[in-house]
Amino acid sequence: MERRVTLLVVVVVLVIVGLLPLAAMFGKSIIVDGRLTLGVYEKLFANGRQHWPPIGNSLTLATLTAGCVTLLGVSLGLLLGKTDLPLRRTLAVLLSIPLLFPPYILAVCWFNLLASNGVLVHVIPARTLELLSGWLFGLPGCLWVLVSAFMPVVMILTLFYLHAVNPRLEEAGMLIARWPATLRYVTLPTILPGILFGGILVFLLALGEVGAPMFLRYAVFPVETLTQFSAFYDFGAAAAAASPLLAVTLLVLAFERRYLREKTYRLRPTTPGRRMLLVPLGRWRVPALLAVSLLATAMVVLPLLALVVSSLSPFAYPEAWNKAADSLARSLVFAAVGATLLTVFGFFCGYLIHHRALRLWRAVDTLTLLLFTLPGTLIGVGLIALWNRPATGFLYASAGMVIFAYLAQYTALSSRITLATLGNVPQSLEEAAQMTGAPWLARIAYVVLPAALPGVIAAWLIGFIFCLRDLGASMLVYPAGQDTLPARIYTLMANGAPSLISALCVILVAVTLISLAILGSLLRAVGSHR
Amino acid sequence: MSKRRLSFAVLAVVIGVMLWRALTPESANAVVVYVSHDQVFSEPILKDFQRDTGIKVLAVYDTEETKSAGVMNRLIAEKANPQADVYWANEPIRAEALRQQGVSAPYRSPSADGIAEQYRDPEGHWTGFSARARILILRQGLKDKPTSIQAYTDPDFKGKAVIANPLFGTTTAHMAALFAVWGDDRAKAFLDALSKNGVQISSSNGESADQVAAGTFQFALVDSDDVHSRQKQGRPVEGLYPDQEADGLGCFIVPNAVLLINGGPHMEAGKKLIDYLLSRETERKLAYSDAAQIPLHPGVDTPPGVPRLEALKVMKVDYATVAAKMQAIQPLLRDWVGH
Repeated sequence: MERRVTLLVVVVVLVIVGLLPLAAMFGKSIIVDGRLTLGVYEKLFANGRQHWPPIGNSLTLATLTAGCVTLLGVSLGLLLGKTDLPLRRTLAVLLSIPLLFPPYILAVCWFNLLASNGVLVHVIPARTLELLSGWLFGLPGCLWVLVSAFMPVVMILTLFYLHAVNPRLEEAGMLIARWPATLRYVTLPTILPGILFGGILVFLLALGEVGAPMFLRYAVFPVETLTQFSAFYDFGAAAAAASPLLAVTLLVLAFERRYLREKTYRLRPTTPGRRMLLVPLGRWRVPALLAVSLLATAMVVLPLLALVVSSLSPFAYPEAWNKAADSLARSLVFAAVGATLLTVFGFFCGYLIHHRALRLWRAVDTLTLLLFTLPGTLIGVGLIALWNRPATGFLYASAGMVIFAYLAQYTALSSRITLATLGNVPQSLEEAAQMTGAPWLARIAYVVLPAALPGVIAAWLIGFIFCLRDLGASMLVYPAGQDTLPARIYTLMANGAPSLISALCVILVAVTLISLAILGSLLRAVGSHR
Repeated sequence: MSKRRLSFAVLAVVIGVMLWRALTPESANAVVVYVSHDQVFSEPILKDFQRDTGIKVLAVYDTEETKSAGVMNRLIAEKANPQADVYWANEPIRAEALRQQGVSAPYRSPSADGIAEQYRDPEGHWTGFSARARILILRQGLKDKPTSIQAYTDPDFKGKAVIANPLFGTTTAHMAALFAVWGDDRAKAFLDALSKNGVQISSSNGESADQVAAGTFQFALVDSDDVHSRQKQGRPVEGLYPDQEADGLGCFIVPNAVLLINGGPHMEAGKKLIDYLLSRETERKLAYSDAAQIPLHPGVDTPPGVPRLEALKVMKVDYATVAAKMQAIQPLLRDWVGH
């Protein structure tokens, strides 16, 4: 009973923060002046042809991004997780850095690099620079930025799922074939569902991305939702504009649920004590190291260097601190609150899915994934549609709206991390506690949580990073005077000096990295204590 | 109490404090202002107000891509449940649109004395101050410089010009002004000619200015503060006030406008903020800032490079008519842009 009530409360909260806002928004699109009508949809799609190009652009960008990210991410995951490549931990951390900040900051970095007065102007011939600069503004630039931003998703998933491969199967494979064949016929097929899941995730994230394509002037369809809402505050039209994206998202998630989800659930790390078999690279060690280092330089070091160089002006950092210290402090508080609540809700969602504790466990998993992949602007619009009323004004005018946005958008992360972690916690532990008569919450607090602690801390850490870097929804719902740092950077881009903007971006990246370092040390301390 | 329970208790208190801090609404001695003017220019003025009066300023700013449209429309959406006290518009047309929507309340500030009637609502719903001009930003070193906005239709400049998206910001107002002054037929013909002459559309005035500075285009129609800020950054651009001949159209002047929100939570503080924004001192600060805005009060000290209003040939418009026209031409502009 206790378990059922607690999990139902979690589900109800998820519905309130996630599903109801979407329903309110779509409700406004079909109920006009108290009558049911599809007029908004008819009006928006009356000239359907003008929507095909941005829809086509969105699908093209998402497909190419997912394809490139999957190829690159899996290759890097194998090199960094499955071989004896030197410095692989350092390179893995370096290549994961782009995940820490919004993609549009990477776009700003590349603009600083390739501008006519940019960092590379003294290194690359003017004509080549002009050509590269031309490519930046359009599909090639957008693709490169999103691949850099989302590649860590597939790389990290590959690194994680490699632990699910039974080394004995690989050893058996090595008896009759060499490593390339073993990787091809044993390792990769085992982790294929996880890789495909990663690819699908990246496809949906790229489909809903707004910031980078807007900056790089590549016309994508999510911008239509933002335009309809931000320029015309037309909820109905914004919802209608979002419907094609929503349809594609639902279709892809249906495919994922039908063909991949069960297989992904079964991908659990093997016995922790067992070491993973590593592939000896032999004479390919140095070339592989050079190739990965080159990639890390191109994807991470160069753009960050451009950001730092363009921020080097005598007054940029003092001015940036003066302009944004308050929003930085707020971002940290909001991210900490958001991460804590995400960890709690995500834990119980993950528990619910792992144990199939309620009949609607599949619906909960699908809902969290759907909300994760929807554009943040859509979630923001929905939250305003639901809560902007006199009766709920106290909440609408508070930063609670930002927290709601985080909960709606990122519960899937903590839920899936908990799911993966609980796979390593023997159910017999909880059953043994149950037999002693311990209530459910006590079993969770004293048996399950301690056993799952590293995963719970990892969930908090990841929730913190994503809340800190959030832009889409929080930009729309923050109350007056309580903007976050990413929103502050975006508003200051209007006539803000490039050095100021770069300094603000550097501060955001630095704060995120420092937070990671501190919290990572804490994680290691907790792990070694256990 | 065991160590673990104590730890949980401390953690719960910390989380509770963080939640309380996160969710606590603003104090009573505050004013909520929605701002369409660029944050880099408006924030220092608001901070000065906060320092000088002790009234906490809580602001919401627009982003570049939805310049002066997003926040305005948020005000309309919140009409039944107003959250803001004051709206600082970067143009009077949207202030007029809000007056027509019943969002504003009349307030005749004593600080507005001296500002010409043309830049004020007759019923006191909004008042203009510190203006920008719509001017041409040119790449430095151009042999043939455009001197009129008609250069957009000049075949010599085919494919060499850019204009900000006319669905947002001051470009919308400028288009509406052209429709009001030229009439619908001539203005539509102008838009068609722009399309035929390969004029590109950018997401904002700032982006247009950056593209001209980068050499991607030769000129663009932007706000005077966009030119000034790029020049201050040392970028190779110059500004030109278009249509200044005796029989010329004149340049379109876009003053900021401030209005009091009907039913806002802090009306008295809102009036104090309006008085502050309309003061000569604020106009002087905005003239000397990187915004380089033209004071509407006569006799306000300005730096070199910021012209006096009386030295310019100004497009003669009635902002209320322009506001009405702006609503009317929205579908046409959307079709033209391709939305």
